[in-house]
Amino acid sequence: MVQLNTGLTLFFSLLVEAMPFLLLGVLFSSVLLLFVDERRLIAAMPRNPALGAIAGSLVGFMFPVCECGNVPVARRLLSQGAPASVAVGFLLAAPTVNPIVIWATWTAFRDQPEIVVLRVVFSMAIAVTIACVFSLQSDLSPLLNRGVAKLLATTAVPIPATPTPAPSPLLQSGTFLLQAPGTRVQLDTPAALSLPDSPVSKPLRLRVRLMLDNIVQEMRELGAVLILGAAIAATVQVVVPREIILSLGQGPITSILAMMALAWVVSICSTVDSFFALSFASVFTSGSLLAFLVFGPMVDLKNISLLLTLFRSRTILFIFLLVGQLTFLLTLIVNLYIS
Amino acid sequence: MRLKRPRRRTQPFPWLDILDWLAIFALGSLLLHYWISGQLSVLLHPDFRWLSNSAAILLLLVSAVRGWQLFQQVRRRRPVPSLGHQSLLPRQISSGLLLAIAIFGFFYTPRAFASETALQRGVTETLGMTRGQPQQFVRSGPPEDRTIIDWVRTLHVYPEPDAYTDQAVSVSGFVIHPPDWPDNYLMLSRFVITCCAADAYPVGLPVEIDGSRSDYPSDTWLQVEGRMATDTVGEQRQLVIQPSELTEIPEPDDPYAF
Repeated sequence: MVQLNTGLTLFFSLLVEAMPFLLLGVLFSSVLLLFVDERRLIAAMPRNPALGAIAGSLVGFMFPVCECGNVPVARRLLSQGAPASVAVGFLLAAPTVNPIVIWATWTAFRDQPEIVVLRVVFSMAIAVTIACVFSLQSDLSPLLNRGVAKLLATTAVPIPATPTPAPSPLLQSGTFLLQAPGTRVQLDTPAALSLPDSPVSKPLRLRVRLMLDNIVQEMRELGAVLILGAAIAATVQVVVPREIILSLGQGPITSILAMMALAWVVSICSTVDSFFALSFASVFTSGSLLAFLVFGPMVDLKNISLLLTLFRSRTILFIFLLVGQLTFLLTLIVNLYIS
Repeated sequence: MRLKRPRRRTQPFPWLDILDWLAIFALGSLLLHYWISGQLSVLLHPDFRWLSNSAAILLLLVSAVRGWQLFQQVRRRRPVPSLGHQSLLPRQISSGLLLAIAIFGFFYTPRAFASETALQRGVTETLGMTRGQPQQFVRSGPPEDRTIIDWVRTLHVYPEPDAYTDQAVSVSGFVIHPPDWPDNYLMLSRFVITCCAADAYPVGLPVEIDGSRSDYPSDTWLQVEGRMATDTVGEQRQLVIQPSELTEIPEPDDPYAF
């Protein structure tokens, strides 16, 4: 009974601490999504792969989105002609290198400021490295999801000045889902082709309404994942015997592997994952906490379904392995030489 | 109550939108409830309570505007615009989960951690472990003004117990019965938090009592006045409070130390 109480108090405490940051992240990303024009941003990006990778990883400061929001933005960036290094740098760094996540991490780890600094430094380093690797590939299409690749290929073709009149819906081939009268969704359209344009082009009144809708949707989606994450954290704390956690958490290698596995499974949003990590702070090594905070936002279970809308599965596996190895290496250095 | 005949609509009734709205409204109300009832003090460090309180207001504002939008939609049969969204969990499950947890939160009163949790987490007299530096230096002042956490921080800086012999002590905390200690010793303890209950860790000082510690059951809150002495407890030479007065007190509103 005491354990149940402890677990529930822990659960609500995590929820109450994380909710404001989640809300702030959602509010910011909704506002920026609808008021920042990505095309202008892309035009300002450097073409040099290394510089592009760095610029791409810093774009997160303008789109404070967590890992659920960054995939659609990265997809739009790629489909609007951003260089691969910019898009990949953004995809991997944006969930961590942004003001809200840095603030949340600072809130959680006030007495270990090195965690806050190293989290940003490591995330940047890994994102820039992988983005540079991607920029070596001159033709990205074998790596991309077929839909996105097709879209990239078609953007090279100039758009005809006079749009051809749409053929009768009855004469189109494909699989359709009928929605409200007059509207339909083509199921076999590649995901990227059916993507709406950047909403910035819409009138202000509608944009505000769309923003509200985005806030509600993201709060629902990310809030539910937060609840599951908080429940897992609370359960582990209460149910798993302390000796097991201690023996796992004090080893320089086992602690990193355990936290990386946990990060992959828990899939908690990057704006609030520092509070999750905090609940392990007293027993796990600093390196392993960093591994959780760096690895989790880049790849996790929840991310796979989103990443599949952008890349082919073997590309995702490649990114996973690369991110995993780099995280392991960097945080092992922390465990062995710094802390 | 008279039932109205359902009106014919071109748009289906937005049940799912209403569920979303309810979930956000309930979450905002739960945070507001924690704020007003003072239960937030069991969950969060005082520095961060304003965050939760602002989130309550923002969530309620969002739900108010969204509620108005939905009302318009139902009344004028106007569809709510949508961006289209990729989601991981089915929509009903997400909003149902949020709503259920928020409602449960209204009925469940969070309780401050107690001795069993302290024993499970391991009480320390030092702030060592993986903690970094102590957050603040010890306040200079008479020893009887120090709280348990001040004493533990002082010991962390200068651990020799003999240095404190015969200093006056006046501290409050809850009782723990460490299993490997003799019957005439108990530990007076407090949980320290830096952010929220998730990182709460217990610190404590041994108290030597006349008679059996069963007179002071676990989790009783005590105010202890006395003098410091050095003794060997649990095979460790350490600072021990020799009390002149032990008073039972109610659990304080802010049960944690900072």
